[in-house]
Amino acid sequence: MTELELSAVTVEFPGRTALRDVTLRLHQRRIAVIGSNGSGKSTFARTLNGLVTPTTGEVRVHGIDPVRQSGQLRRRVGFVFSNPDTQIIMPTVAEDAAFSLRGRGLSRAEVRERVAAALHRVGLSEYADSPAHSLSGGQKQLLALCAVLIGEPSLVVADEPTAYLDAANSRRIARFLLDEMPQQLVLATHDLRLAARCDIAVRFEDGQVVDQGDPAPVIARYEHDQDES
Amino acid sequence: MISLYRPGDSLLHRLPAGPKLLVVMALALGVSLAPADPWTLTGAALAVAACYLLAGLGAVEIARQAYKLRWLVLVMVVSQVFFLPALTMAANVVRVVVVILLANLVTLTTRTEQVVDAIERALTPLRRLGVNPSRVALMLSMTITTIPVIAGFATQIREAQRARGVPAAPLAFVVPLLIMALKHSDDLADALTARGID
Ligand SMILES: Nc1ncnc2c1ncn2[C@@H]1O[C@H](COP(=O)(O)OP(=O)(O)O)[C@@H](O)[C@H]1O
Ligand SMILES: [Mg+2]
Repeated sequence: MTELELSAVTVEFPGRTALRDVTLRLHQRRIAVIGSNGSGKSTFARTLNGLVTPTTGEVRVHGIDPVRQSGQLRRRVGFVFSNPDTQIIMPTVAEDAAFSLRGRGLSRAEVRERVAAALHRVGLSEYADSPAHSLSGGQKQLLALCAVLIGEPSLVVADEPTAYLDAANSRRIARFLLDEMPQQLVLATHDLRLAARCDIAVRFEDGQVVDQGDPAPVIARYEHDQDES
Repeated sequence: MISLYRPGDSLLHRLPAGPKLLVVMALALGVSLAPADPWTLTGAALAVAACYLLAGLGAVEIARQAYKLRWLVLVMVVSQVFFLPALTMAANVVRVVVVILLANLVTLTTRTEQVVDAIERALTPLRRLGVNPSRVALMLSMTITTIPVIAGFATQIREAQRARGVPAAPLAFVVPLLIMALKHSDDLADALTARGID
């Protein structure tokens, strides 16, 4: 079951409607979310893990209601934010990765093993005992990704995960998200080259889905509209 | 505490954090109360040095830690040199340096995680009074994580102000710092929620 389903979802903030009657059904492995600033990309991403509660409408992520079944959902959905600095909870790299496994009833040895494996996967093994804040921006984002993947989610939602990174680190994160990890991915991004590498692109404008389908034509129409205005 | 831990598997590394803290506190108390006698204090200094070697840290690390205390030592010497006999002054300096080196030895050989766990265990009896030890431990860990972040904000603000040639004004420093700290804690709350802690 890999279906993401929104039925007539509206999200209202004081004085502003961020999503307007959005109905979507997505099952692709890599889903790009594009659109101008303030179009509702982040709000859409956040409804998928219950950080935002719809004012009206229903959300189902792999059959789970993100708001009412939030405990179950958090184990299935990992979220990567833009800012590498605000995702680190624990003082050292290994402790931060281990934090995602709290409350799962794993022994210390199991936790240590899974942390070591997960850090190895993102190439941060040698920093295990370093203070997390001594890492570079790109490394912090890799740590955030590691902290998400260690929980073995079935969906990873990433909201502009490369926005704070330089070109080399962006490529590294993108390669990981798009090519290396097996999980389903929802990628909200301004980087249209990344969107082009997804299996489907969904375009938001003014809180509504205005276009969706094969990334290349969706992106072309988006660029065309932007040139017009 | 934040960036000191040096991985290793010496006896000192393997000693549980709780007992280690207690032993070090007792030793520090002993050194503070020890008579200002050259032999006792030399002995104490040598004993601390021996502990560093036992922890596999080597003379270089001792020198590094001691070097970090140079300004403190200078201040102590300057403030005492005219008022106290040389031996008393030297004794005071040695006491302070030894106690700080002892404290650093704990942080050098103990993961923050272990210290936090030890505190969590020590708080367990307070559960009946409504204290949630794991919450306290989490807050403590997050505070330790956040200190370098806030320090980074402070540097950013100072640099931004210097770049614009703004003279140092306390309010112009504190207000943006507060705003950045609040924004940070907002974002951190989202990250906590996303990672399954409400
Ligand atoms: N927490 C919030 N409170 C008030 N308004 C918000 C909040 N989050 C988003 N908005 C508003 O909702 C609209 C959509 O925002 P967002 O989903 O962040 O867009 P995007 O990520 O595409 O830039 C914007 O106008 C934004 O100002
Ligand atoms: Mg956004």
